[in-house]
Amino acid sequence: MRGKRARFVTPVFTINYNSLTEKNLPGVNPVKSASLFSGYKVNPAFYDEMFSATGVPREHCKALWEHLGEMSSADIAALQERTEQSFLHEGITFSVYGDESAQERIIPIDLLPRVLDAGEWQLIEHGLHQRLRALNLFLADIYAQEPAQVLGDGIVPADLVYGCPQYRVQMRGLQVPLGIHVFLCGTDLVRTHDGFMVLEDNLRVPSGVSYMLANRRALKTSMRNLFRRHRVCGIEQYGKLLRKTLAEFAPAGVADPCIVLLTPGIYNSAYYEHMFLAREMGVELVQGKDLLVHNGFVYMRTTEGLRRVDVIYRRIDDDYIDPLAFRQDSRLGTPGLFYAYRMGNVAIANAPGTGVADDKSLYAYVPDIIRYYLNEEPLLANVETHLCREPEGLEYTLDNLEQLIVKVVGGSGGYGMLVGPQASANERAAYAAEIRKNPANYVSQPTLDLSCAPCLTHEGAAPRHVDLRPFVLCGQEPRLVPGAFCRVALRPGSLVVNSSQGGGGKDLWVLPP
Amino acid sequence: MLSRNAQGLYWISRYLERAQHGCRLLADQLQTLEDRPVEEIDQTWRRLYASLDREPVGGSLESNLDDENFMLADSYTLADDLTFESSNRDSILSCIATARENARQVRNVISKDMWYCLNVAYLKLSKVGIADIWDDRPGDFYLHAEDTIRTFSGIVDSTVYRDDGWHFIQLGRFVERVQLLAALIEAQITVFPLNEAHIESEWLSLLQVCEARSTFSRRYSLEYQPVNVINFLVSDLRLSRSIRYALARIVVALERVSEKRPAQEARRLAGHMAAYIDFDWPRHDLNDTDATRTVLQELRDTSRKVHENIETTYFEYEIEDTPGA
Repeated sequence: MRGKRARFVTPVFTINYNSLTEKNLPGVNPVKSASLFSGYKVNPAFYDEMFSATGVPREHCKALWEHLGEMSSADIAALQERTEQSFLHEGITFSVYGDESAQERIIPIDLLPRVLDAGEWQLIEHGLHQRLRALNLFLADIYAQEPAQVLGDGIVPADLVYGCPQYRVQMRGLQVPLGIHVFLCGTDLVRTHDGFMVLEDNLRVPSGVSYMLANRRALKTSMRNLFRRHRVCGIEQYGKLLRKTLAEFAPAGVADPCIVLLTPGIYNSAYYEHMFLAREMGVELVQGKDLLVHNGFVYMRTTEGLRRVDVIYRRIDDDYIDPLAFRQDSRLGTPGLFYAYRMGNVAIANAPGTGVADDKSLYAYVPDIIRYYLNEEPLLANVETHLCREPEGLEYTLDNLEQLIVKVVGGSGGYGMLVGPQASANERAAYAAEIRKNPANYVSQPTLDLSCAPCLTHEGAAPRHVDLRPFVLCGQEPRLVPGAFCRVALRPGSLVVNSSQGGGGKDLWVLPP
Repeated sequence: MLSRNAQGLYWISRYLERAQHGCRLLADQLQTLEDRPVEEIDQTWRRLYASLDREPVGGSLESNLDDENFMLADSYTLADDLTFESSNRDSILSCIATARENARQVRNVISKDMWYCLNVAYLKLSKVGIADIWDDRPGDFYLHAEDTIRTFSGIVDSTVYRDDGWHFIQLGRFVERVQLLAALIEAQITVFPLNEAHIESEWLSLLQVCEARSTFSRRYSLEYQPVNVINFLVSDLRLSRSIRYALARIVVALERVSEKRPAQEARRLAGHMAAYIDFDWPRHDLNDTDATRTVLQELRDTSRKVHENIETTYFEYEIEDTPGA
C-alpha cells in the first residue's frame, strides 16, 4: 500500500475577483469589501472547504463568502480580539500538561465558520451511526461470557484484544445497560480530495463538545448578522439530548434517575467542559470524594444527608474510577463503585474498557468489523494504516519515516507522535530506535492532504488545515446534533490540530436541505 | 445540595469577607500616612497586624521612631505583605485567588455573573503589584478593590436562588465577620488600652474601618469615647458591621439551612452568644482591658466552634447508620 505523493508542485491560483459578481450594497467600498479574501491563495493540492480549485466559492458557501467580503479584515480582527477576551473572562480555558507557566489558556477561536451542506452532513451522520453501531457490537462480543465470535472467526487477532492495555478483564460477562458500552463517541474526521475519512475514534472520554457550543455562542454574539442571513442548523439542544440519553441507562425501576457528571476536578485539562456540561444538563458535578458506596448502592454526600445516584457520566479514565477494581493508588475515584456497577445498581457511561476499540492498532480492523457485524460496506473510509506489530508494517514504516506520521498505539491528544516530514533527521533516528524497541506500540499513516478552510490571519483570510469532531450519542437510538468541534492548525502549513499542540477551533455550520 | 458545593460557597464568602476587611483596613491605614505623627502610624500598623494574628516580615515593626523615612518605606513593605504577598494566605490577592478557586469548583451552581465578576477581578488584580499602586493615591486602589467585592455581593443578592446555597453563603460571610470584628476590637484595646488616655483619631479610625463613623456620630456624639465605640461595634443589632448583627444573621441562616439535618451545636452556640451580648455584656463596665479582652476572646473561640460544627454537620460528616435507599 503506497500513499499518493504529489504535493507542493501544483501551481497556486489566486481568486480572481473580477470574474465574480458581487452584490455591492450602497455605501460599501468594493475594494474594501473584497479585502478579507484578496490575498487568499487556493492550493489545489488540498481540498479547500470554501473555494474550488480555481478559486470560485463553492455553491453552499457563496452567501457566506459574500457576506464576509463586506467586512474588512480589521473589523473581524477586532471582533476576534474581543471574543478571545470574553473567553478568558468567562474562563473557557484548558490546561496543558507539562506547562507550568501557562496554567490556563484559551483555545483560540477563528471567527470564519466552516460550512457543510446537507448532503455532506447526511453522509457523515449515516457513516458515524454505522461505525458506532458496529463498535458497540464488537465490544459486546469481546466482553461477553462466551468466547468472542469476532476472534473465533479470525476477523481480528485475539492478542490485539486480550493484549491491549485497555482491555478490562473485570468487564468480562457483565451485562451493561441497553447492551451499549459506548454511549458517546467523538470521532475525528478529515477531508481530502478523496472525501471524508475517519482519523480516529474516541470511545473513552471524548472531549471538545463544549467548544463546539462555545464557538457557536461566540459567533452568534459577535456576528449576529450572519445568522440573520443564513439558515444554520441549531446545536443548542445538545445538553438536553445528552441528559435524555444518559437517563435511558438508569437501572430498572428508577423513574426519575439522579444523574451526575464525575470529574477529576479543577486541575483536569477539560474541567471547563465538565462544569459546562453539568450546567447545560442541570445535573450535579461531582468528584470521587463526593460519592460513596454503601450496600452496593452509590450515594453522594449532600447537606441533607446521602442521596442515591443512578447514572454516572464519568469524565475520569477507567484506571482511576475505583481503586478497589482498577488502579489502587487512584485518589480520584470512589472505592466500591465498580461493585455497584456490576450489581446493576448504577450505570457508568461510557462503560469501562471501551478503550480497546479505539486503540490505534485495532483501528485498522474497523472496516472489517463493520462488514462482519452489519454486513454493510463502511460509509466512511479509514486512513491507510501500517501496523508496526507486523513485520511488513514495521519495515515499511522505518523505510518511509520521513513521509509518515507515527502514532503511539495507546496515546491520545497528539502526545508522543512523530510528524515525519517536519521532524529533523536526528529526531527521526531517535524515534526509529524507539519503534524498534517496541514495535507493537506504534502505527504509521501517510501524511494526509488535510483540507483547508479560510482562517483569519494578520494578512487577511488564509487557508489553514482543519478537521472535525462530531459527537455521536447512542442510547435507545442514535442521536447526533448537526455540528462538530472543528479544529484548525493555526500555524501555516501545520497539520496538527490538537489544542495541546497549538491548534484552535472554529464554528462548523451544517446547512439544512 | 452537594456537600462540596455548599462548602465551596461557604468559603467563597468567607474569603471575600476577609479580603474586603483587608481593603478597609489598608485604605484607612494608608490615609494615616498622609498627616499623622509617626508614633500613630506605628501604632495603627501594630493594631492591624495584631488583628490579623500575623507577625510582620522580619519583625519590621521594631522601627526607629526618629526616622520618618524608614517608617514610610516600611509601610510600603507592610502594605505589600498584606495585599499581594502570595505566601500570605490572608493577603487580599490570596483571598481573592482562593475565593475564585472555590468558585471554579462550584461554578456549575453559581450564576454566570458571579463567576464573571470574580474571575475578572482576579485577572486584573493578578497583573498589579505594590509598585504600580504606591505612587498615585494607593488608597484608591483599595477602595476600588472593595467596590468590586461589593458588586459581587450585589450580584449574589440579586441572582442566587434562596436554597441551602444561599444560607451557606450567609453563614460564611457572617461567621468570618464575627471573627474579624472580635479580633480587631481585641487588637485595638491591646494597642490602645482602655484605662489609658485615649487618642480620639484611633477610635475614629476603628469606626471608619467598620463603616460606622457617620452612624456613630448621629447616634452618640462627636466624643469618640472608647466604651461607646466598643458597645456600638459589639452590641448594636442595627449596625451591619457589628458582632451582634452578624450573630443574628448566623442564627437565622442556621434555622433555615437543611431542615432535615440541623447543626444543633452551632445553633446553640450562636444563640448563646447572641443572648450573652443582649443580657450579660458588661456595657458600662468595660474599662478593665483584660476582662474585656477575655470576653472578646471567648466570642472568637465560640464562633470558631460554630464553624467546626457547620463543617462536621454538612461538609465532612461521617456515615454511621444505613442510609435509606
